[in-house]
Amino acid sequence: MLGKRARNLFKQTSLNIFFIVCCVLALIPILYTLSVSMNAEGSLLSSDFSFLPKHLTLKNYKSVFAEEPVMLWLGNTMLLAVSTVVLSLAVAIPASYVFSRWSFAGRKTVLKLLLLLYSFPSILSMFAVYKLMSALGLLNTHIGLIIIYAGTMSVFAVWNMKGYFDTIPVDIEEAAKIDGATDTQIVFMIVMPLARPSIIVTATMVLNFVWNEYIFSINFLTGSENMTLASGLYGLQATELSGSWPVFAAGSIIVSVPVLIIFFLSQKYMTSGLTSGGVKG
Amino acid sequence: MMKKNNMRAYLVSAPAMIFIGLIVIFPIIYTFFISFTNMNTYHWFNYDFVGLKNYQNALLVFDSGFLNAILYTVLWTAVNMIMQLIIAFVIASFLNIEGLKLRRLYKTLLMFPWAMPGYISILIWKTGMFNSSFGLLNQWLGTSIRWLSSDLGATICCTVVNLWLALPFMIMIMDGGLKSIDKSLYESATIDGAGCIRKAVSITIPCLKPIIGPAVVITVFTTFKTFDVIYLLTQQVGSQTGARIHTIITYTYENAFITNNYGYSSAISIIIFILLILFYEMTNRRSKLC
Amino acid sequence: MKRILVLLLCIMLLISSCAKNNQDKKATITIWHDKEDSVVAILEEALSPMKDEIDIVFEKKSSLTESLKLVGNDIKNAPDMFIFAHDKIGVYAEMGILAPITDFVSKEELGKNIPLTVEAGLYKGTNYQMPLYYETLLFLYNKKYMKEQDIPSTTEELYSYMQKKTKYGHYGFVEQHSTPYYAAGWIHGFGADLTDKEGNPLLATADMKKALSYHKKFVSLMPGETEYATVNTLFLEGMAHSTMNGPWFISAVRNAGIDVGVAPMPIVDETALPISPYCGIQGIHVLKAHANEKKDEITKVLRALQNANLEISLALATGCAPALSECYEDERIRSSEVVMAMKDTASKAMPMPNMPELDVLWSVMGNLLTDINMRNVDVETACSNAQEKALDLIKAMR
Repeated sequence: MLGKRARNLFKQTSLNIFFIVCCVLALIPILYTLSVSMNAEGSLLSSDFSFLPKHLTLKNYKSVFAEEPVMLWLGNTMLLAVSTVVLSLAVAIPASYVFSRWSFAGRKTVLKLLLLLYSFPSILSMFAVYKLMSALGLLNTHIGLIIIYAGTMSVFAVWNMKGYFDTIPVDIEEAAKIDGATDTQIVFMIVMPLARPSIIVTATMVLNFVWNEYIFSINFLTGSENMTLASGLYGLQATELSGSWPVFAAGSIIVSVPVLIIFFLSQKYMTSGLTSGGVKG
Repeated sequence: MMKKNNMRAYLVSAPAMIFIGLIVIFPIIYTFFISFTNMNTYHWFNYDFVGLKNYQNALLVFDSGFLNAILYTVLWTAVNMIMQLIIAFVIASFLNIEGLKLRRLYKTLLMFPWAMPGYISILIWKTGMFNSSFGLLNQWLGTSIRWLSSDLGATICCTVVNLWLALPFMIMIMDGGLKSIDKSLYESATIDGAGCIRKAVSITIPCLKPIIGPAVVITVFTTFKTFDVIYLLTQQVGSQTGARIHTIITYTYENAFITNNYGYSSAISIIIFILLILFYEMTNRRSKLC
Repeated sequence: MKRILVLLLCIMLLISSCAKNNQDKKATITIWHDKEDSVVAILEEALSPMKDEIDIVFEKKSSLTESLKLVGNDIKNAPDMFIFAHDKIGVYAEMGILAPITDFVSKEELGKNIPLTVEAGLYKGTNYQMPLYYETLLFLYNKKYMKEQDIPSTTEELYSYMQKKTKYGHYGFVEQHSTPYYAAGWIHGFGADLTDKEGNPLLATADMKKALSYHKKFVSLMPGETEYATVNTLFLEGMAHSTMNGPWFISAVRNAGIDVGVAPMPIVDETALPISPYCGIQGIHVLKAHANEKKDEITKVLRALQNANLEISLALATGCAPALSECYEDERIRSSEVVMAMKDTASKAMPMPNMPELDVLWSVMGNLLTDINMRNVDVETACSNAQEKALDLIKAMR
């Protein structure tokens, strides 16, 4: 008696319940942080904790904005993040295309080497990069830090996008070649649109990395006018000796939200031309 | 696969290689160089070459404690990877079921753990959730269990936190991968009468493998090198919990890196690097990646 | 006509830029620190009379110790001075990045400070720090629960108080029992110490073993967690009647509405020594990088900071004790219960050792305490293992 519609409804409802439960589980620590950030009392812990604090207040958020140059931090972070994304995509897309499509001497070896680089325990890397940047005269410059970020994320970008390029059938490109398109045209007008989901995912990962990165930015871009969101937040950190947990919690929420908004908005572009019927058969 | 001349290939990928060379490969070379010197607190600027002395000393670190750490790390990586792959696959598949209206919202909410800076999240987990007197878990359960004080308890808690931190990335990768599978394959499978599980096994998983392959390998290595989660949750001096669990990196941190003897630490890093590469080679005999 | 005008303009610009250059001979002094804004404001105000001659820039660095190691002697990027506790002096001196403070201020000038504070900055016979203020741990109690007659004067009295009062979620006394900095008080109370004057670890001496076994007795009446969030929250919520904590905690306690009292540290019955924690002396240090070229400016800044009023304001703002002896004649200091209690406890305390070996000892000590207090390892075994570990690690440092 249960028609298709009823079965569908049941399926949808249980799916939604499943996801609501998942989200709640994933968000409990976040909600905890949110609650601490809206608490008028100063502590991280209390014996009668409730998600809705007894003395609800937004003063911690106000205090973050008022006492700290958050907009300056935001500006710096955006500058670094966008530049790094653009730069790393600009160098990684050609490289991953080449590694995916062309066969040349050393291709497999280089690829494997790139992957194995991840197994290096990099305790001295900051030291080495410091010496390098110092020698190049790029310490305390935005460009220097952007190069550092782009270099760090390039391996991931190349591998990620190469894997995706591999799944795009070559037939489309060969068809375009027969029609007389040049290599550059093929890459820009055919392959890139098809690889959109991978490019967006990679861009989002790079963005998040730069957004939250504080260790390098504290040491390589000194001066209070150069602080980023992440390094500013690190300075607000509540330790045993100083700092206020609610303010620090408020700061953490403020720092995380923009990335999520960007992620939410970019979802639209994560569909590929392929699945919407680009190639059949 | 189109054949092109080698020059052009290397030229096009040159910019990426230059960046990688500067920022990733140069530190490795530098570390290798320092491992042959005696750079430490007493010879910070005026270090000399000491040949293989650091390597000789390094072998002393690789004692029984280190072997335990290796076993623990392998176990830790295996458990985490298996759980991540399964849970991410399930969640990503469900996210892609037709008709789920709030899909974008759920996906974004599930990404929150990844958007918040790691050191804060770990701190919140340690003091907000697991704390024996005031943590949420104990407040809800009405108990005062010291979750992090036994080795087993601490391992389970660290795994939970690590999964919480790492799943968003895996879900995103799986989701991207699932979206790239040609829908027509599923259509023809349904026509042929295949059920959900059959479709998943014969279509989804084989097609996913090449796409998520690199991300999985990267995650394996990163999980192997776990430091933050284990150290901040249980081993940081001044807030130790009583559990004594060590991965390779936390073990070498406590036994070598804190001495500020960079020559010595570099030698150990190089040795671990070689070990990991060998390990990767051995386990990769069977599976092919690209 | 036009050309002449342009030429005149260029000449004027040239002259004015030269003039500007002559005026622009203001030097800049960069000082790194990791202190709160309120402390920095006080310092900046004290140095404001000099702002026409010298541009003083305070930069907050959250991971100061690591940043200093990175920057080393790099002339372009190193700061001129930094404000920090004295315990890292040994590391930086061995690395060769610190300039002796006596290059700028004489020993007599340093002598105006309390001897304890000057000694802390001494490493291998050279002074590297000009002290500003110092801090140590205090015995704090909640007046609501611990009455006058309950205040323990000996550790056994403390123990019986704990036995009576530790129930129904209340604790007689809490502390960060497995954190080396805090446990050191108990260790010194038995005459033991982490190292001797040369930096050799003393983790397996008979006194150390006695201290740790005795301490364990108290730990069993405390919550399992040793970290500061639990300990502090227990006290702030009134569930712990007394604690051992630093001056930084007092304002939080007052804000929580607790009527807090400060008492002298209990005396260990067996040895008749009080629990004597480590103390940290906060001061200013000069880096070698710019020591020569900016000698005059640095000396001026140092002299300006050795100012009684400044140190009194710092002390009142942080609850710590000023380093200059003359501050103690001042009414504001004499009337501050916290500062005078600090001075009293500190007179029996010992400064943290500033040797490079301490870096590894903190970690070994932490593990030793955890083993004994939380993993119930037997004291003998734990201590001898720790001593061996410490010797290995120190050897590995060279």
